[in-house]
Amino acid sequence: MPTVFLIDDDPAIRDAVGLLLRANGLAVETFASAVDFLESDAVQRPGCLLLDVRMPGMSGLDLQKRLQEMDCRMPIIFITGHGDVPMAIRAMKAGAFDFVEKPFQAQALLDRLHEALALDAQERRRQARRNDVAARLALLSPREQEVMERVAAGQYNKVIAADLGISISTVEIHRKRVMEKLQATSLSDLIQMLALVGGE
Amino acid sequence: MKLDNRTYPALFSLLYIVTGWLWLLIDNLVLTVWMGGAAPALLPTVLKNTVVIIASGGLFYGLLRVHIHMTCRTRQQQEEIEEQLCCARDDLETRVQERTTELLKMNSTLTQQMASRVQMEIALRDSEERFRQLAEHIREVFWVYGIVEERVLYVSPAYEEIWGRAVQSFDERPLDWLEAVHPDDRLRIQEAHVDKHRLGHLDVEYRIVRPDGAIRWIWDRGFPVRDQTDHVYRIAGLAEDITARKLAEDQLRRQQVDLARMSRLSLAVELASNLAHELNQPLAAIVAYAQACLTLLRQGHTDPRELVGTFEGVVNQGLRASEIIRHLRQLVQRQVAMQTPLDINALLHAVIHYAQLELRQARIDLHLELTESLPKTLADDLQIQLVVLYLIRNAVDAMCQMPEGSRQLIVRTALASADWILVTVHDTGHGLSPEAAERLFQPFFTTKPGGMGLGLPVSRSIIEAQGGQLWATPNPDSGVSFHFTLPVYAPAHSPYSDHELDAHRLPH
Repeated sequence: MPTVFLIDDDPAIRDAVGLLLRANGLAVETFASAVDFLESDAVQRPGCLLLDVRMPGMSGLDLQKRLQEMDCRMPIIFITGHGDVPMAIRAMKAGAFDFVEKPFQAQALLDRLHEALALDAQERRRQARRNDVAARLALLSPREQEVMERVAAGQYNKVIAADLGISISTVEIHRKRVMEKLQATSLSDLIQMLALVGGE
Repeated sequence: MKLDNRTYPALFSLLYIVTGWLWLLIDNLVLTVWMGGAAPALLPTVLKNTVVIIASGGLFYGLLRVHIHMTCRTRQQQEEIEEQLCCARDDLETRVQERTTELLKMNSTLTQQMASRVQMEIALRDSEERFRQLAEHIREVFWVYGIVEERVLYVSPAYEEIWGRAVQSFDERPLDWLEAVHPDDRLRIQEAHVDKHRLGHLDVEYRIVRPDGAIRWIWDRGFPVRDQTDHVYRIAGLAEDITARKLAEDQLRRQQVDLARMSRLSLAVELASNLAHELNQPLAAIVAYAQACLTLLRQGHTDPRELVGTFEGVVNQGLRASEIIRHLRQLVQRQVAMQTPLDINALLHAVIHYAQLELRQARIDLHLELTESLPKTLADDLQIQLVVLYLIRNAVDAMCQMPEGSRQLIVRTALASADWILVTVHDTGHGLSPEAAERLFQPFFTTKPGGMGLGLPVSRSIIEAQGGQLWATPNPDSGVSFHFTLPVYAPAHSPYSDHELDAHRLPH
């Protein structure tokens, strides 16, 4: 179940906001500091971050940077206090999902949290498919890889055969194998898969 | 016997006489012999002659012996005399030589003295020249005042440069320089110059107005010049143009004032921002707790007992907010840890020195009515300085709209009773409306544009923290008097001596 990871150094905020989110049916885990969060397994789990921008030690902005370095794409909603606008702007520029000002409007916060969780789920699905395609691509032999690249580039079998110095029927066999191994139903399906992986 | 020029003729004459006598004697003897034969009658006569000749020879010999003897004695005496003469001459020569040496010595001494006299004269002329060069080329005005003559004896040419007036004017109008002094400074300077005759010293700063209307700042110092009997008969002085320095000082002080104002403002902003953030935390928690409760209640199937914890959270966070506010109040009414025994008059002098520029710029006359030899008080000197400075600035602000000449600031100290020192800051400003008088010490109440309304309440809390009181009374004629009291320091009751308290304050 996707979880809201709440990080705030103020125990009252952790308690109150945790209670509010749970009452609204969300799974919540709270951390007193950025370091506590990094040291837990939460970084790998599905969910989103509700992060206090102003904290002693590692600040919210520091954690955001750290997560980017770790290639963790969990959406972050920053909690800002009075007069933290410049920090909020920096957070947004650095790719934060959004920021909410204390004290919060409960419904607005909940809406943004649901959106963030949806985004994370979508991102995770994309990631899973990418991993899947990459695994299937690894099954191809070098020759099949060569044929696949040329097929995806839109070359005719005749051209590919001349290019690689093999017969047209051999090209057709390789092509069939590639489609089977990648579980591609059509040429456009194959191209989509390659685009997904090529994004990496 | 020596043979000399005198001896030879004597010998010759003696030889001649002896030869003559011998010839007579032989002649007679021959005659006697011849007579004895020829004429014996005549023999007695010839014998008688012979006897006479022999006798005369004996007599001559005797005479010669006597003469020789006499001569010999004279010679001896002469030799002795000569010897004595010789000695005398030697002695004389020695003395002459000695005298000559002495004279030579004296001569050289005299020559030396003359040379040094000449050198001294040259040196004197040089030093006079140097003095003149110095006096006429330095940028400061060098002056000499004769006490007996009752006039300025010398003024260097820089006077014309700085004052823009002719040096000759001193002879015609001795007080010409004083007319140039700025009207605001003139009385003070006149007094200082009268005192100068009595004390022999002078150290004043004043403004002059040049004929072209420009104002210059002068630093005038005088030093006593004494005669051999240690009696001051002249005063020598230097008057320096310190306009540039004064302007720089004024600017610096203005910047400091601005800086102080800015830092106070930024401090207030920072304090407000911190306070907002601090208060926002419990507020956010309270709102979140309440919303959680609302959510649960709306769902309709909540056991009210489940809400107890949530409401406890609300209560605790409300208390936390009020704790923050109490803490802030304590911060303003700072503790009393820095109390030291202090001389309130010295403190007032120090603060007034700091505020002098503001007073002068606002054309306010300051009167100090300080009671001398007041006992010390035990207080935090920095905080009391702040209060005094604030009260003075308050008075300056209150009087700036009043006509010039009526702006009088009186700072007074007195012993209110055996235990209390009273300080009063009296202004001749516009006074207070009844409404203002009532709300004077309320925070955020102000009659000044741009004022924060914190000065008086903070001042009051500072004075109250030292054990004293701060209040205001309207003056019978115009303006307001602010009074504050501070406790008299009684060291006998203190476990620490002054010295120990000072030692505690100093960093080791």
